[in-house]
Order: sequence, then C-alpha cells, then structure tokens
Amino acid sequence: MRRNGFINPIEICYTKYILFILFIMFSYQYKAQTMTVTGSNWAVSIPTITEAGNNYAGLYESATNQVILAVSVPLLLGNAKVSVHYSANPTWNSSLILSAKRTSNGTTLCALCSITGGTAYQTITQTDIELFRIQAVLALASYTGINIQLQLSGVSVTIPATSYQSQVVFTVSAI
Amino acid sequence: MNLTVRIQCLMISMLSHAALSQTTGNRTVSVALPVVTLLDIEPPGNFALNFTAPTEAGVAVTAPAANTTKWINYTSAIAPGGLTRRVTASINQTIPGVNITLQAAAASGAGGGTLGTSSGLVTLSTTAVNIITGIGGAFTGNGANNGHRLTIGITVNTYANLSARTNTPIIITYTITE
Repeated sequence: MRRNGFINPIEICYTKYILFILFIMFSYQYKAQTMTVTGSNWAVSIPTITEAGNNYAGLYESATNQVILAVSVPLLLGNAKVSVHYSANPTWNSSLILSAKRTSNGTTLCALCSITGGTAYQTITQTDIELFRIQAVLALASYTGINIQLQLSGVSVTIPATSYQSQVVFTVSAI
Repeated sequence: MNLTVRIQCLMISMLSHAALSQTTGNRTVSVALPVVTLLDIEPPGNFALNFTAPTEAGVAVTAPAANTTKWINYTSAIAPGGLTRRVTASINQTIPGVNITLQAAAASGAGGGTLGTSSGLVTLSTTAVNIITGIGGAFTGNGANNGHRLTIGITVNTYANLSARTNTPIIITYTITE
C-alpha cells in the first residue's frame, strides 16, 4: 500500500471494505450449524395377509440406526434444534403415519455439551416439528452417530393398494 | 502475496466452505401395498338340513330350520380407482322340488373399511348369484361372529317334484370377484 512513502487512500478503503466483509463472514461461519445425514433409506417390509378377514398388523419399525445424524453447533450459537418433516415423493397417503425417535446420544468430545429430547416417537408431519436439541457449552458441540429410528403406522387394506414413498427431511437450525 | 490477495483467498476459501455446509438432509421411506382378495367361510365344516316326515296323514313334510352358523370373512385391498368387489354363491346341483336359499346379513364384528352390502335373500342355483356387493378396501375380522352371518335354508317349491333321498351333498361355492 506504500509507494514512494505514500499511502494510497483508495487501497486503504478497499482493504477496509474487504476486512469488513471478512468480519461478517467470520461471524456467519462461527455461528453456522451443520448437519450430515447418513444411514439408509427404509423400504418397509409388509408381511402378506394369509387369512381372510385379517388386516395388516399396521405398525412397523425400522432399524434403530436407520438414519444417522452428525450435527455441529458452534459455541456462539449456543443452542440448536433438529427438526423433521416429510414430503410425498411422489405419492403418499395421509393415513400412513410416520414417526421418528432418537435412539442414541451419539458421540462428542465436548463434555459439557448436551443433547436432549426426541427419545419417544413423535409423529412426523408435512411441517417441521422439533425432534431434539443440542446445547453447546464452552466449545463446539459436534455430535456424530446420532441414531434415529423410524416407525410407520396406519397400514391397512383400506388404503388404496399401490406404492407410496416419502422423503423424511431433517433440518438443523438455531433456536 | 500481499495482504489484499491473502484476504481474498481466505474469503474464497470461506465461501467454498459455506457452500458445502449443510443444514438439512433426508432419507426415503417407501412402502408397497399389494392388491388383496381373500375370502373364506367360518367356522369350517358341513351341516345338514333335513326335512321331517309328517306323522299325520295329509300333512306336508316339515322344512328344517335355516342354518345360521356360517360367517363370510373377507379381506379386500383394491388399487386406486379400482372396481369394488362382490361375493357370489352357487351350488353344484339343484334338488327337484326344493329351493336352497341364502341370505347374508349386514357385516358385523371387528372389521373395517368399505364393507359390502347384502343382496338380501337369494335362491341358489348352479349359476352364480350376487349375495354381497360394493366391497371396497375392507376387512371383516377373522372367524365366527365377524363378517356377514349367513342364513342358509331349504324350502319346498313344488311339492309334486319332491322325492325321497338321503345324504344329497350340496356344495356351495363362494367367490369374491370384481
């Protein structure tokens, strides 16, 4: 910025501008929570009805680790919630009820951080519902291996016989 | 590399990181519900309908009381927009001089869905006749006291055509179809 002992005022302005943007980005980055969803899709296996007059059992559960979440919540954010909703993809029936619950706390290096809620089945709707919370204390709360179990209920012969598919969408956000 | 360039590199790096950071993810749940068409009669087994001979000259034979021990159970799952189902009944042979009649009652018990409607009292022949219609996606429940109770009787239609006979097996065939 110095040329021949002079400071170019345009360069000073430009640098300040860049630093300001950098500050904003740092703030954003420091507050950003992230999530990764692994595990596998769930193709529900429905046993065949073999006796006339019977209906399906109606309620089916996935593996306890059907969905595995990794969530990071930065210290500045403090608390974050993981929400879930479903969206038909392309066809779903409103009589088919999806539920989800958290079956493990996952692992974290942050001793004081906590993960709470979501250990009982909660019905998943088409709008986000809170499944569980993570609180960051004195450190980045980075949890991996948070297992999620899914449940499907309402399966019945009264529902038109065809294939149904939905996406279960998990979202982490600030509280 | 001067300071400005370094800052710009840092910004690009942070922008890349921000672009790769995710706050959402999903998994798919899929379920396939097949078409189901099941029917049976509960409890299993045969029953007898015996006319009673009169003990007084000039008196007609006495028709037996109708049998009401049998129930129709069914499970029906139909495709979207599919046709409703019906239950038909027929017998393997007729007996001269008598009618074999059948009536399905309204569905009762542990069932659910769009259960069928009785066609009322029908006389059975070797040609299938509707006894229950309008079955949608439905299940009656399993076993006796679930589904449609059947009242099966035998009556004289033409006395002149009656002849003495023993152990004439009549097989009633029930079919659930569209």
